[in-house]
Amino acid sequence: MSAMIEVDAVSKWFGELVAVSDVSFSLGAGVTALLGPNGAGKSTVLRMLCGLTPPSKGTVRVLGGDPRRDLDVTRRIGLVPQQEALFEGRSALQFVHLAAVLAGVPDPEAAARSALALVELRADDGRPLSAYSKGMRQRVKVAQALVADPDVVVLDEPLNGLDPRQRLHLISLFQRIGDDGRCVVVSSHVLDEVERFGSRVLVMAQGRLAAEGDYHAIRDLMDDRPHRIRIRSDDPRALASGLLGADGVVGVRLEDLDGTVVETLDAAVLRRTLAVVARDRAVRLHEVTPLDDDLESVFRYLVERP
Amino acid sequence: MTPRASTKVRRRLPIYRLVLRSQVTRARLAALVALGVVGVAVGAALGRADRPAEALSDGTVVAGHLLAGARFVNTFGLSLLVPVTALVFAAASLGDPDEEGTLVYLWLRPVRRSRIVLAAAAASYTVAWPVVVVPLALAAAATRGGAHLVVATVASATLALVAYTGLFCALGLVTRRSLVWGLLCVFVWEGFVATAADSAGRLAVRTYSRSVLGDLASVPLSGPEVSAPLRWVVPVAVAVVALVFATWRLRRRDIA
Repeated sequence: MSAMIEVDAVSKWFGELVAVSDVSFSLGAGVTALLGPNGAGKSTVLRMLCGLTPPSKGTVRVLGGDPRRDLDVTRRIGLVPQQEALFEGRSALQFVHLAAVLAGVPDPEAAARSALALVELRADDGRPLSAYSKGMRQRVKVAQALVADPDVVVLDEPLNGLDPRQRLHLISLFQRIGDDGRCVVVSSHVLDEVERFGSRVLVMAQGRLAAEGDYHAIRDLMDDRPHRIRIRSDDPRALASGLLGADGVVGVRLEDLDGTVVETLDAAVLRRTLAVVARDRAVRLHEVTPLDDDLESVFRYLVERP
Repeated sequence: MTPRASTKVRRRLPIYRLVLRSQVTRARLAALVALGVVGVAVGAALGRADRPAEALSDGTVVAGHLLAGARFVNTFGLSLLVPVTALVFAAASLGDPDEEGTLVYLWLRPVRRSRIVLAAAAASYTVAWPVVVVPLALAAAATRGGAHLVVATVASATLALVAYTGLFCALGLVTRRSLVWGLLCVFVWEGFVATAADSAGRLAVRTYSRSVLGDLASVPLSGPEVSAPLRWVVPVAVAVVALVFATWRLRRRDIA
């Protein structure tokens, strides 16, 4: 795989806030998902890839050039930024046409119509963009990013606000562009969304690159972490003593008056064990709650693991 | 026109049109046109009164309407209407897209940053010129100061607008509170500090535009003396330096 994007030991800080810390990766053709919770540094990385902000340390090379200084590189990058704002008084066609003209596309009118068709928007819709729904505006942003047929496409949370059908449509569009030999980088904080891209994944958390590789390898890594489950019952002490040493349980502690927090490596085994222990000890279960199945804790685990 | 030049113009014009359209809002136009109308009304009131010729301290005798008209254009036009109008439009030309987050759609195109800045400044100037110069020329005419005063008003306001447009275009890229800083610059620096000493006065755009007004209308106006070439060259140089700085700033800054 020849690298189209090379990020080498890049850090970025804003005053005292470290947004990105010592991140390195290289990307070739195809779709790469940048996964991480809000505030993980994904958007900052994407902005550096487009030259919108320089790294405080390290180097970013896109198509062999500096995306911040080299206008020939800029010409070959398409970006869907995260912010909502568009040139509100313009129609979708005018907005995308402007992008095509500024990019120096030979036939901007035809290119704009074609880009709007790619995202299933009507070029003859004369309404101003301010009258568009969030999903339509998102698709207009994608159209302006693709209008100049860029070699590198950077998409910051491009599926926000889209209905399920449009999500599927855009995911397949991005995959087609990637299969076509372009480098597509898509950020997301939704794990299931990334699965649909079915591609290489970079996981970011707390400004660091926490993991990278195939989606399934990352998923397995996430599933290997211990899970914490809180159980509320009418006799937590009896339940805790029954669970100690049981299959799949690596730790038990009492919490509050009726709570027991159990750590397990296999939530499915714990479910079976819990039912047996509760029945044998005549304990009535009130509530079983996983404590850290949210994405934030998954990312935290990936960052903190040795 | 060569194909290369044609491509340059084709890429610059859309930015110019875009900024132009975004700047012309009803609220802005209404407020500034109202200010211009006030100027014309005051000019007419000055013209209605009888004004005998005045002998100045240097012995020069100046027609009363000409002197009153020139002083009014200097005080109202060059000190208020021109800088405030330039501030409203020029600071918004790149400041608004920056604040809204749409600047990225211009920045992330293979267009030289200087072209973006020039297009924005040109658009601001296009909107501001008629808003400023037409009412000021009408006001000058209404004072009955004569044709020379009208010509001097048009020339000095046009020249001052060049300098202020450049300055405030750059200011819009430097701070998000460009209106506040711009007003401080106009009223505190130019209106107060720069009047305290000749050396400080030479760092105010108003000094040069006032000098042009006085020279063309043949009316001595108070303020530092500025030589003939400087009064024309400095405002243009200020605009050029400010726009070069704005280009540098646009190239170096983070884009949201």
